[in-house]
Amino acid sequence: MTLEWGWFPDHADEMARLTADHLATAVPAVVLGLLIALPLAVLAHRVRPLRGVILGASNILYTIPSLAFFVLLLPVTGLTRTTAIVGLTAYTLVVLVRNTVEGLDAVPAKVREASRAMGTRPLRTLLTVELPLALPVIMAGVRVATVMSISLVSVASYIGYGGLGQLFTDGFQRNFPTPVVAGVALTLLLALVADALLVTVQWLCTPWRRGTSRQRTFMRRKAA
Amino acid sequence: MNRRTVLTTLLAGASAPLLAACSSGITSLKGDGAGGDSGSSSGGLVIGTANFTENQILGYLYAGVLNAAGVKATVKPNLGSREIVVPALRSGDIDLLPEYQGSLLLYLDKKATETEAGAMQNALATALPDGLEVLPYAAAEDRDSFAVTRATADRYGLKTLADLRKVNGKLVFGAAAEMKKRVVGLVGLKDAYGVEFKEFKALDSSGPLVKGALKKGDIDVGNVFTTDVDTAENGWVLLADPEHLIPAQHIVPLIAARKADSKVRKALARLGNTLTTAHLTELNRLVDKEKQDPDRVADAWLKKHPAR
Amino acid sequence: MLELLKNLLSWLTSPAQWSGPEGIAARILEHLEYSLLATLAAAVIALPVGLLIGHTGRGAFLAVNLSSFGRALPTVGLVTLVFLAGGLSVWPVYVSLVALAVPVIITNTYAGMAAVDPEVKDAAKGVGLRGRQVLWQVELPLALPLIMTGVRLATVQVVATATIAAYVSFGGLGRYVFDGLAQRDLVQVLGGAALVAVLAVVADLALGGLTRLLFRGRPATAR
Repeated sequence: MTLEWGWFPDHADEMARLTADHLATAVPAVVLGLLIALPLAVLAHRVRPLRGVILGASNILYTIPSLAFFVLLLPVTGLTRTTAIVGLTAYTLVVLVRNTVEGLDAVPAKVREASRAMGTRPLRTLLTVELPLALPVIMAGVRVATVMSISLVSVASYIGYGGLGQLFTDGFQRNFPTPVVAGVALTLLLALVADALLVTVQWLCTPWRRGTSRQRTFMRRKAA
Repeated sequence: MNRRTVLTTLLAGASAPLLAACSSGITSLKGDGAGGDSGSSSGGLVIGTANFTENQILGYLYAGVLNAAGVKATVKPNLGSREIVVPALRSGDIDLLPEYQGSLLLYLDKKATETEAGAMQNALATALPDGLEVLPYAAAEDRDSFAVTRATADRYGLKTLADLRKVNGKLVFGAAAEMKKRVVGLVGLKDAYGVEFKEFKALDSSGPLVKGALKKGDIDVGNVFTTDVDTAENGWVLLADPEHLIPAQHIVPLIAARKADSKVRKALARLGNTLTTAHLTELNRLVDKEKQDPDRVADAWLKKHPAR
Repeated sequence: MLELLKNLLSWLTSPAQWSGPEGIAARILEHLEYSLLATLAAAVIALPVGLLIGHTGRGAFLAVNLSSFGRALPTVGLVTLVFLAGGLSVWPVYVSLVALAVPVIITNTYAGMAAVDPEVKDAAKGVGLRGRQVLWQVELPLALPLIMTGVRLATVQVVATATIAAYVSFGGLGRYVFDGLAQRDLVQVLGGAALVAVLAVVADLALGGLTRLLFRGRPATAR
């Protein structure tokens, strides 16, 4: 399998366009997932009976093959980018709900009780105490969801919205490995950059967590 | 640092990228797909293409002539099989599709019997749902055909599709999954020729899977298109079709009627008159064998053959 | 919607659909074959690596970040690449599935090993156990629950992703998804998807039950 090295500089524009396209599908999926996951996770955390239902349903959702999801959405959202985004959101949602619940679980009950004892209302406690403390685990979830989203976008190439995944179908149809290699490399690079960016954001937003080595090791393992 | 400061920093830090992502997400949700509900092509035209390279070449050719005629046309390549793309045309997600007369007619009307180009054009006009239209067909044609290797043809004495009856139940047939249910596929081969296969392997039509399988011997009969250069290169035998199961397959633009104004019609008609099967075969060769890009190949061809 | 569900139910329950070389039963077996073989192969590769990294502590950075890399690797791209390199064979399927499972198992194996209390390791050394004995007699048994979690996660992911076999003409439950897509037969797509989900959930529960059975009465190790 030989690579046509001249192909890469020749198609720099196309690669840039596909990368932008890729992000335009992957990023909204994570954002939407987060917007839906946060309230769902709070519900699962607070309301005992709902917890099993929400977590169970999300586990099942995760196992549905992504291509099938896109195809089933076609009659609903049409052959548009929306189909790809909605499909991806289902998967980011699952990861984000799980991690947010886990993060909220990790907040010691005593802290919440102390806050309530001070007279803070439940919503304020949630926003100013529990969520910030759960943030490291939530951010770990955002990282996982982002990387996964970037990888899964390529599956949507089957319905024409695969971003860099279009390079895979192209190479496949023409028996041409070069664009496929480009697509894989760029997808990995994109995921790496996104992950690094999110680590920086997390580090910036949680100053109290830049703590002892023991805490950092714990957080690192949580993120893996 | 108390919690309020932390929360404010958090919100500030997170909101900027979130807003950026949201806005890009929203605009990409809105600004994608068909260019509005205008009554003419002034809002631009979205050309969809199916999941094989020839269709993409055609899509870019359409875009080339349309843009040259002052109609803003964009191409959405590689959207899927006909079963995915035609519904997208009906729902307005795309406006124009390079299609093939015979297959399109049978997709719309399973009982259609017309096989001649002119008759099919009329039949298509009737069979199409409201809002969709076929414009005049091109000189170029690309038919489905069923190929066997030279060795298989010699071994069983296969020259026509009727000859396959001699080896009923012995051979493996490979084609795209949709061919299992299509008249120009398993169903028709059984009805018109009484042919039955040992096994049907869902691969692709005239794509890397079916051609690879034919080469390797994983299948005996494969669905290959007549403009595919691999046939000549591998010495495959395309089985003749005396019963006219496979209809004529001239390239025909399938368009949303509301987008088909006179500029569009003229441009596509000119292209149809100029593009021949030989041209199409050569363009396929450039893309599949020389690994050139469909859009560049289309542009180069249009420069050499300015539409008359 | 209701119509679709009704059709789906009849599709799933018709005996004709289950029998034959293209029936549901055959496809499930194919799917399990790809999944189990791939997970096994991944475990054979990943377990020694994870144990080594966990035992020696060297390469910890790799172990922790490998799962990120594995998650980022686009399966479709890998399948296509192996297909173009090696032609029409089952290799693209196995290479991609193994590539998917290996990082998960390594990361969780390492996590299990790293969670072993260093004092226990010291105590073992103090009693006179040598390096490799510490590994097999102390670290591995303590790390086993997390290792099992890794194998379980990997299995579920592989089962859910083994639909990719149909992309390169092979069988498994992915066949229903791809064929249904090509034939615009939503019932088939839905059926295939539902069966994959059920299979994955069953695999998850089975391995979960197995883990609980093996480690009954054990104190929970570090998270």
